[in-house]
Amino acid sequence: MAEQQDLLYLDYAASTPVDARVAQAMSALMTSAGSYANPSSTHAAGRQSVGHIARAADQLAGLLNTRAERLIWTSGATESDNLAILGGAHYRRDRGRHLVSMRTEHKAVTDSFSELERQAFDVTWLDPEANGVLDIARFEAALRDDTQLVSIMHVNNETGVIQDIEKIGAICREREILFHVDAAQSVGKLLIDLDALPVDLMSMTAHKVYGPKGIGALYIADRPGVHVDPLLFGGGQQHRLRPGTLPSQQIVGFGAAADIARSRMHEDLERLAALRDRFWSGVHDLPGILLNGDIDNSFPGILNVSIEDIEGESLLLALEPLCVATGSACNSASQEPSYVLRALGRSDALAQSAVRFSFGRPTSLMDVDFAVEHYRNAVDKLRRIAPGHAA
Amino acid sequence: MSTDPYSKRVRDLFDVPAHAGSLDGASTVEVSDQGVRVRLYAAVVDAEIRALRFQAWGCPHTIAAAEAFCAGYEGRPVVDLLDFSVSDLMQSLSVPVEKTGRILVIEDAVRSLGSEAGAISIPDD
Repeated sequence: MAEQQDLLYLDYAASTPVDARVAQAMSALMTSAGSYANPSSTHAAGRQSVGHIARAADQLAGLLNTRAERLIWTSGATESDNLAILGGAHYRRDRGRHLVSMRTEHKAVTDSFSELERQAFDVTWLDPEANGVLDIARFEAALRDDTQLVSIMHVNNETGVIQDIEKIGAICREREILFHVDAAQSVGKLLIDLDALPVDLMSMTAHKVYGPKGIGALYIADRPGVHVDPLLFGGGQQHRLRPGTLPSQQIVGFGAAADIARSRMHEDLERLAALRDRFWSGVHDLPGILLNGDIDNSFPGILNVSIEDIEGESLLLALEPLCVATGSACNSASQEPSYVLRALGRSDALAQSAVRFSFGRPTSLMDVDFAVEHYRNAVDKLRRIAPGHAA
Repeated sequence: MSTDPYSKRVRDLFDVPAHAGSLDGASTVEVSDQGVRVRLYAAVVDAEIRALRFQAWGCPHTIAAAEAFCAGYEGRPVVDLLDFSVSDLMQSLSVPVEKTGRILVIEDAVRSLGSEAGAISIPDD
């Protein structure tokens, strides 16, 4: 296996390195010289921790143009999704049992809805169009009088496709339907104005945006009927919606990461678009290559490609030392192709050959050129090995 | 504990599959099953395997196993194909048990190749 120093990491949609300034802000709170006190304590040291948390909340709220008190800290986007969907559906169970989501959502969302199906809720699973985008007319047609909750992700984690959460949210608001957005891939990367967007609940996480793992947040709009039942019990923290000692150093890290993201979002987006376009222009002429998603309506940090007549697991090994994500959830046992790409209409074989390249702040043009060369070589090698190739 | 799903030998064989390719005029078999496609070529002279080549569409273990087979059986009597053991191959490559089905495709291909190349009588199981 390639050594750490030889690896070329192109999996920033999975996680990002902690920004050095974020790490510095966090470490200042973790030792005896810092503000390590439990923020629930009423003494002076505890109040210092509260102050740090309040500042971080302001930083994250500033990134999203909302108020700090609308944010609930969680352990990450998975918990936020669970709290929003399970907690939201339970809180509003008297309004109806019908829920709507998409087949291309993250597992944290689909599994939460599956749990609600086991609890006798009725879920409509919408398929996207071939380019990954949800058709608004089809969405509207799926709504019923008893629909009480809709969850649609902002940026798809596999394809980067952006859904029109403004339009979807407006339709939900007209009908008094709770609207949740999984924004794990978009917070800190795309401009989000929660003061203007018709979004009731939004899930987010720090580690996708150069913050630490283990901290996320759920935005809950200040609107009548918008609330969630808690999933955890055991303390009075965060209005009893999410009890437990607040991890102040993680929260401070998220706040610092949000601040940095806000200051360089435009620059990041321009760079990522240049990297993505350079990669695609370097591989698009390969016979049988297909782009999964819609390059004109995507977050530019993610590019997902399938290729005909190539086996996914072998492709991934041949691509080393590139660290990329396969479109297959395959381990040796299941070899199950990506359900997201299957929902886009890709065959099992094409879904299994898919590779997600995701670029980040440390990615250089040289990295992209190396990745292009390596991808082309890997495809060429595997095609030469495959039956039917004329030696 | 190693987190690498591939043994060093699998990586080496996958990286440099020296026997990947085809042989003109050689005995040829192709077996497709378990999401794997394997084609084997054998050039046999006087009941001796002079050259083996493979083409494979499958996971790294499949490709490594095909390469290991070819490397191990060149120069041997064609009758030795009868002794080909998938369990030995799986052990030597540390193939996870859940991939047994895929490696068995190679066993099927080797047995067919034996019949094709040397008219070997292979008893039914």
